[in-house]
Amino acid sequence: MIIHYKRPDVMNVEEVTERAEPRAFSPQDDMPEEYRKAATRMIQFHANSEIMGAYLERPFIRQSPSLDRKLAFSAKVQDEIGHGQLLYRAAESLGIKTREEMLDELAAGDGKFLNCFHYPMTEWWETPMIAFFVDGAAMRRQATIKRTSWEPYAHAMDKICFEEGFHIKHGEDIMRELATGTRRERQLLQSAFEEWWPRILQFFGPTDDQSTHHDFADRVGLKTMSNDELRQAFLNAYLPKAEKYGLEIPDEPRIREEEGRYVVEEDDLDWEEFWEIASNEYAGSHEQIDSRAAAQDAVAWARKALDRPHGS
Amino acid sequence: MTANQLPGPDELTERERKTVEALVFGLADDEFVLAERYTEWQVRAPTLESDLALSNIAQDELGHARLWYDLLEEFGYTESELLFERDPAEFTHAAFVELPFEEGDWADAVLRGYLYDTAEQLRLGALEDASYPRITDRIGKITEEESYHREHAQNWLERLCDDPEGRENVQAATDRLFPHALALFEPVDPDREAAIQELGLRSEPLADLREQWCAITVPFLDSLGVRAPVSEDGTLPELPDDHGRSSAHTGHWPALHEELTRTYRELDRTDTPTITSDPDHAQ
Repeated sequence: MIIHYKRPDVMNVEEVTERAEPRAFSPQDDMPEEYRKAATRMIQFHANSEIMGAYLERPFIRQSPSLDRKLAFSAKVQDEIGHGQLLYRAAESLGIKTREEMLDELAAGDGKFLNCFHYPMTEWWETPMIAFFVDGAAMRRQATIKRTSWEPYAHAMDKICFEEGFHIKHGEDIMRELATGTRRERQLLQSAFEEWWPRILQFFGPTDDQSTHHDFADRVGLKTMSNDELRQAFLNAYLPKAEKYGLEIPDEPRIREEEGRYVVEEDDLDWEEFWEIASNEYAGSHEQIDSRAAAQDAVAWARKALDRPHGS
Repeated sequence: MTANQLPGPDELTERERKTVEALVFGLADDEFVLAERYTEWQVRAPTLESDLALSNIAQDELGHARLWYDLLEEFGYTESELLFERDPAEFTHAAFVELPFEEGDWADAVLRGYLYDTAEQLRLGALEDASYPRITDRIGKITEEESYHREHAQNWLERLCDDPEGRENVQAATDRLFPHALALFEPVDPDREAAIQELGLRSEPLADLREQWCAITVPFLDSLGVRAPVSEDGTLPELPDDHGRSSAHTGHWPALHEELTRTYRELDRTDTPTITSDPDHAQ
């Protein structure tokens, strides 16, 4: 339970803006509510995404085609849960919500998470789409969060980025295996890529002028790079990698090169679906959220037993 | 003990090799199938902390399975033959480890862990002086990890049994699992069981290990207010017909095997990639 009390020496937003720099603020600072809420929203989204990403990948522990892959997949899913744990702790340190409240919101369908984790993933050859491309995209964003102004968030990112590096290597290894496999394996990989590519481009969210929360988060140093800059960095690194593995980049969404920059034709992307997903209203959202909620509900009795004072 | 030491994998006689196999297949298959079931709890355990703990345990068991399968690979088997292309009816694990978890039945998960790891401690203890060094090489690492698993399971059982609903769930799991757990002490190949001791592989007969196991588990459960289905005079419940080992498996096993070989079959794989170093050489 969080105790709210009035603090006379709370920093105002102007002061925060002035002092904002990497890892500038910690629980010792009296941050204004606006900052604490914005940071909570950002970190909770991140934590939820770790949990829902793990949920999406867990069936592939079983479906792994070798013992080593099974071990690696199990360890990856475990790491993501560990990241969720760290991030909820970083979010809790802002004093707005408890972990329990955030997990309850996730189960109730009120917690937001990354667009890519709302889509079903059923086949092994789809796994590099998450484990290589989406994780690679996430890595771009996470690396910049090492410089966020909320120190506990930046601190969590040190460990998370370290582990994500291994995940991406694992994802790339699965992709290499498929890309150098039989003709059929290459075809399956290509079709998975075509299906996931637009979603991956939307990973970074809407272009800057549509982003509602960016301005404030940018001013107070929570965010250090815009969505568009992040997507540039991702495309610079990952378009060549996709080509290296023999993947053909789909004609749509159109991507032009202008003065050394990639310009994605935004109108070629399905933003209606993106916003449907962002409000947890997509068909896949219900499926992922509800089945996870049902699993959580089924073990509520064990949590209750755990909460009981020991020896009573 | 060194006087009766068996030679390396290539120098064993046919009888010696078959006897080692009869022992090791059971160890490997138990660990593998139990781990496979454990992973079902990933992203589904009661709390994030218990999720992480059970994931660790599942990976430990997978690691142990790998250690034992590697030993079988020294006899010329491939991982594909051992896991992905073996007829599910040929697997030698106790059906105890293949039983599915009912949704939310965390009592089953921790009780199964407790019963299994207690059995594991005893059977590994009886292999500590095994005459085949490739077996003894592996015991230390596995025993250490299993003792952490047992502690984890015991702590959970104590917490659950402090709560009336929790204790009821543990009792229900005990009624269901206990008779199946006895199969952990059934031989993989009854014809080779005598040779396992004659060749100095296992120091004690399975029946003695089972007795020791009961002497630990029954009083522990009793201390939690949970009754194992053992009569006053110590008579054990009958083994279920489909208890695995050299007998039939339950219908849950072919279904599980079908799922876990799905990608392998759909991609027409004929071998399995190795992506980590050989644990025998890794430091």
